[in-house]
Amino acid sequence: MTDTPLPPHDEDDGLAGEYVLGSLPLSDRLAAEARARSDAGFAARIAAWEERLSPLNADYAEAPAPADLLAKVEARLFPSPPRRAGGWFGWALGGLAGAVAVLAFVALPLLQPGPEHLAHLASADGAIAYDATWAEGDLIVSRSAGSAAPPGQVHELWLIPPGGKPVSLGLLEAAPLTLPGPRPQAGWTLAITLEPAGGSPIDGPTGPLVMSAEIGA
Amino acid sequence: MDDPVAALISRCAAQDRAAFRALYSQTSAKLMGVLLRMLGQRAEAEDALQEVYTRVWLRAARFDPARGRGMTWLIAVARNHAIDRLRARPEDSSGTEALDLAADPAPRAETQLIARGEVRRISDCFATLEPARADALRGAYLQGLSYEALSARAGIPLNTMRSWLRRGLLRLKECLEQ
Repeated sequence: MTDTPLPPHDEDDGLAGEYVLGSLPLSDRLAAEARARSDAGFAARIAAWEERLSPLNADYAEAPAPADLLAKVEARLFPSPPRRAGGWFGWALGGLAGAVAVLAFVALPLLQPGPEHLAHLASADGAIAYDATWAEGDLIVSRSAGSAAPPGQVHELWLIPPGGKPVSLGLLEAAPLTLPGPRPQAGWTLAITLEPAGGSPIDGPTGPLVMSAEIGA
Repeated sequence: MDDPVAALISRCAAQDRAAFRALYSQTSAKLMGVLLRMLGQRAEAEDALQEVYTRVWLRAARFDPARGRGMTWLIAVARNHAIDRLRARPEDSSGTEALDLAADPAPRAETQLIARGEVRRISDCFATLEPARADALRGAYLQGLSYEALSARAGIPLNTMRSWLRRGLLRLKECLEQ
């Protein structure tokens, strides 16, 4: 095997192969992921390498997953809608009023869909996680695992349109962050950075990226 | 091509929760195997599995059956998540503790039947590489070993390892395309 320089065409393909192999250092790995999002040709190279190396997957032995795991995933993805106050009261009235109340109780959830899970954000080690939900015209972002930023710092939430600059949506503290609509579009990214107390002093993030996730359709 | 896993992923993209359950029951043991082998610790692998199926549901619309098989895509989601976790570990001690778990490749008989031809082909191609280079490629893919871990294991400098992997991959590709 001679070690002469690779032609540029092979350079791209080698990078995609190494991304799939998983051996790239973190910074190169993140750069490759970012490129795959905007460069369809590069993304296709990655998919081709995934398929090319897939026979190696036969080497992974199967192992049973814990019994309650699916229920946990479903609880996270499909939170049950909050029960509406007042609906049950109608039952007690009886007669016409009761029937109207029952009708309202049945129809309301149909007219106003329950919360929709938009994105799950988690730090790479899984220690801190936030969930973004769309409910009744509000975007609600709340912490579902871990604790707030260390003293003197804060988690700041950003919305990033494809190919655009991050826009600050606010600071994430103990209480869930609630922002009135419109619903953020599918394919946009929510990201959380670590910023000094009070939030980023400039028009854009200054601190390290803690986690990010794309908004689901 | 008949690909029941791909069909289920496409139904997940259309928000079909029953398809998500079916997909989970058909594929969770394999993905658990991937995560266990790469992460080495059961508690972390279970945590990662939750994360992986959450992503599978949220990203199902991005799966393109024209580009590859459903199972390949699922395993890529699981491997990518495991690699992110390994690279975020303070010392990136990736894989060293996973070695003991790695010794029992016993895929289900049906998987073996489907994959046997392809597996033999890639094995033949691996056999054309120098053994130490083939070993490094397998260690990177199957266990998520980093450059550092691989070069320490092979006793060679980091840059040499990078060149081994890059050239090994391209040589594999050439061989598989013949």
